[in-house]
Amino acid sequence: MILIESGERTEKSFDAKLVFARQLASRGHRVVLDDRVLPERLDRNQKYEAAAFLATLDGAAISRVLVIGAEAVSQETMLALRGFDLAPEVSVAAIGRFPQRQAAIGAQAKIAYATGHEPTLVDLSTLLPQPLLADAVLPLAAVPARRVEDGGPPRLFIFLAQETLDNPQVLPVLAAMDQLPDWRLNLILPGRGKELIKATRYDRLRVLGYSEVPPATIAALADIAVFFGDGVPGERMAAFALDLMRSGGAVVDCTATGAFQASGAPVVRGGEDLAALADHLLHTVLVNRQEIGRRAQESRWLTANGIENLERALGLPVPVAGPAPVTDRPTRTVFLPTNGVGLGHARRCTLVAEEMAGSGDIAFAAFPSCVPMIVEKGFDCLPLVQKSPDHDDEFANDLITYLRLDRSLRPGDRLVFDGGYVFDSIHRVILDKGLDATWLRRGLPQPNQNASATLDREPVFRQVIVPTEAFDELNAVGEMGRAIRHVGPIVQRLAAPDAAERTRRRKALSDRLGHAFDQLVITMLGGGVASDRAAQMQALAALLDDRKRCLHLIVVWPGAVVPPGLNGWRNTRVVQTRRALSLCQIADLTVSAAGYNSFHELLYHGLPAIFVPQVASFLDDQDRRARAAADRGLAGRVKAQDLLVLEREVTAFLDTDKADGIRAALAAATLPTPGNARAAALIREGTAQ
Amino acid sequence: MTPMPAGPRIAYVLDPRFPGGTSSGVAEELKVTARFGQVAVHAIGSRMFGGREVAPQLAGVLEDLGVTPVWDAPVIGADIVILHNPVFLKFDAALQSRIVTRHLIVVAQENFLRPGGAEGFDVAHCMGLIDRASLALRKSVAPVSGHNRATVAAWHQRFGLPPGWGVLPEDWFHICDFAFLPPTAAPRDQRGRLSRPGLEKFPPRAVMDLCFPPHAEANVILGADPLLTEDTVRPHWTLHPFRSLEVDAFFRLIDFMVYFTAPTWQESFGRVLAEGIAAGKVVIADPATAESFDGAVVSARPEEVDAIIRSFLAAPERYRDHVLNAQSAITRFSSEAFAARFGGILEGTLKVAA
Repeated sequence: MILIESGERTEKSFDAKLVFARQLASRGHRVVLDDRVLPERLDRNQKYEAAAFLATLDGAAISRVLVIGAEAVSQETMLALRGFDLAPEVSVAAIGRFPQRQAAIGAQAKIAYATGHEPTLVDLSTLLPQPLLADAVLPLAAVPARRVEDGGPPRLFIFLAQETLDNPQVLPVLAAMDQLPDWRLNLILPGRGKELIKATRYDRLRVLGYSEVPPATIAALADIAVFFGDGVPGERMAAFALDLMRSGGAVVDCTATGAFQASGAPVVRGGEDLAALADHLLHTVLVNRQEIGRRAQESRWLTANGIENLERALGLPVPVAGPAPVTDRPTRTVFLPTNGVGLGHARRCTLVAEEMAGSGDIAFAAFPSCVPMIVEKGFDCLPLVQKSPDHDDEFANDLITYLRLDRSLRPGDRLVFDGGYVFDSIHRVILDKGLDATWLRRGLPQPNQNASATLDREPVFRQVIVPTEAFDELNAVGEMGRAIRHVGPIVQRLAAPDAAERTRRRKALSDRLGHAFDQLVITMLGGGVASDRAAQMQALAALLDDRKRCLHLIVVWPGAVVPPGLNGWRNTRVVQTRRALSLCQIADLTVSAAGYNSFHELLYHGLPAIFVPQVASFLDDQDRRARAAADRGLAGRVKAQDLLVLEREVTAFLDTDKADGIRAALAAATLPTPGNARAAALIREGTAQ
Repeated sequence: MTPMPAGPRIAYVLDPRFPGGTSSGVAEELKVTARFGQVAVHAIGSRMFGGREVAPQLAGVLEDLGVTPVWDAPVIGADIVILHNPVFLKFDAALQSRIVTRHLIVVAQENFLRPGGAEGFDVAHCMGLIDRASLALRKSVAPVSGHNRATVAAWHQRFGLPPGWGVLPEDWFHICDFAFLPPTAAPRDQRGRLSRPGLEKFPPRAVMDLCFPPHAEANVILGADPLLTEDTVRPHWTLHPFRSLEVDAFFRLIDFMVYFTAPTWQESFGRVLAEGIAAGKVVIADPATAESFDGAVVSARPEEVDAIIRSFLAAPERYRDHVLNAQSAITRFSSEAFAARFGGILEGTLKVAA
């Protein structure tokens, strides 16, 4: 295990350790960082980057120590090194740029005193000459990136200083560039740059914060990088440029000082005027892109600044070529449903996963509430940690998710995410591993929902599979992006019980609950997370309590919170089950929220239902969905506050022929073909390409 | 104030802000050499010690001798010029003072090489600055001990001193004129060590554990600043920060001084060991460090320390005899011995026609 340390305990040094750790890990070296020496301030991105490398170290586990930024070694670092009690066979190296011989001797001596081991001195001034940044702590060495090719237009990354946004012409120019089909534009801005852009009407521009994604990850994605500003914008961008050049990408130096070019790097010099960039790219860079990349890779400067030189100087094994080898296990497909307010995302994923039987290794990563259902379906499931107000960071659980995904997935694996908000963990692991990623994303947002934040991460997915709604007016016509694939409704299908089977199951239910009934009403209004439906449940319980031989089941997910006071009703029972549909199939009426799964299950199984939509800012537009069915005479619809209407509707369903009418209408309705199999096929296609 | 004798001009060149042994050694030395002629002290304001004060032990002696240090003199002229510890020039681009003398002696003080052969400091740079700034009939490097001499010789062999330089055959030892205290008649397993708090002064923790075990009656460590910040707690150690306890008081707490350093560093002279001997203690150190003391310091590997201490505890008379013999042995580092040695060198210098 290689321990990476830095001479000083500054934030800059820690950031350099993070980038260096990832670089070495990408080369197949086993790297670790000491978690006892974290800086006081560690931003969210750094925590994600560090998580995979941090460990409380036992000195015995260390085989090698690399001290970067060794030109300045602080007392804290010396004490930390001393604390490891390194074994005699451990090798230690001091890596730095030493302006004088005394600086090198001093650094070597300090580390020798602290570790008791004489370190190998690696002077980057001679090993990696003409650096992009003279005062970098990070050993700026070019690492070949694991290219993620998708056959689309070149991916263009432009680095801009935050103050560039003060010029009102900048964003319009970028927005215009974003419309050109010749490239896919991405911006990188430090500081509050991303936030500022997202607060404007140009919020559709794709923007990365300076340290949002590791440089090697951006290099794997990029084809062209353009740098504006005064000089080389920090160590991360220097590392990004190096890795990109090494990987055959083109770097365009539009800095005021020509800083990249001045170092001797094989870059293309561009003008400082952003307005001229598009033409420069179109007529100079794009047409010569392959040649620019080839010449960069062959340049002596890049060879001299290659990671292999550093590896040799450190006595590390140099990988034969390219990134670390990938294991030869079969491609794994991991479904990751968010937990949402119920189990709908997980249910949808299992439906698609079932269609992928025989497609290799299929597994799930899911939150605790979803795990039993997934396991019951016969899938392996990696448990994730639920978010909790007791965690130090609001994203602490997502850090664990990231770690677990990082360890479970390999480049080329598939990740299928079902949810509304793409967590940092998912975004990162897709980029880090170059995963074949699919986003299962149901539509029908509410009119005022701002999708900008949600959609910002969409480009990391190869495709977005949108399970359509049963009714056309509910499907967004504008959602026709590059990678949007519409499939029919993804819906659970159970065989309809015949009359005898229905009678048998109703009898079994009656016996089990000790409650004889002729009428069975199911209420599925949710677990109270999105909308409080206690009043509606009480009203229904009261209404149905007067009926003879009636059973009213309030059905919730296992673990859901049940409103108090429901147990006092004679005809009402609360049931926790994952098999609600089976009960609905034998019921005379179902009163349900209009979530995607329940709605379509009731529709596709021809079951009479009254929909009481849930309303919350983060939910889909359940009221439109319910209205679409009601307008066609395929269901009843009652707004939550209309309790008297609800009573009338229930009475009509139970005491008139309304339910039969609905059944007949449903039987006659033509609904779209379910999209379960098509979704599975689309997911499989990616790897085959 | 002692009247300044007439006679040969003796000039010292050093940065008087050196902490620790160098300034203590020079202070003791000045008391002796001042008897031989007119002593001038030329202070060099090096970058190494920027912002520090003159070492108090040196300032006191200078005041007693009535010598006012001259800072950064453009020209230093004397019959003999003694430059102490060239390491102070390691961060400077030039030595601005010009030195004109019959004999320029650079007292090495620091080891030129560390154990294993790595350079102790940029010797070539420092010696180069001195060489370029000086005009002398003779230029010598004076090692302070046998070990220090070995590092100078090995360095010279690998890198080469500037042309015209030689190595003095005599050691320029530190004067150890400490008052001798009698050894205890009933030694106990009370161990301790004393050093500046630099990490080079401390062996690995496993060695510290061997030297200062739980079964010892006392383990007193003065200058323990690095140990005070460690996570691992050794309740059987009594840790005192550097200078938090008078040295006399420290020695009253122990009967055995056990002194090991980082394996990548070694004392050039080991003045602190002589202090321990003078205080009437049995001093135990690693073989290389002990070698300079010709048996006055018990040579041991860390794992042997316990047995050695047990053997002394079992035979108090042997403890007493060892301390007395050791005290006798270090009289060779007395001011009289140094005066004789310096007198000889000075005489030789003055004989040479300028």
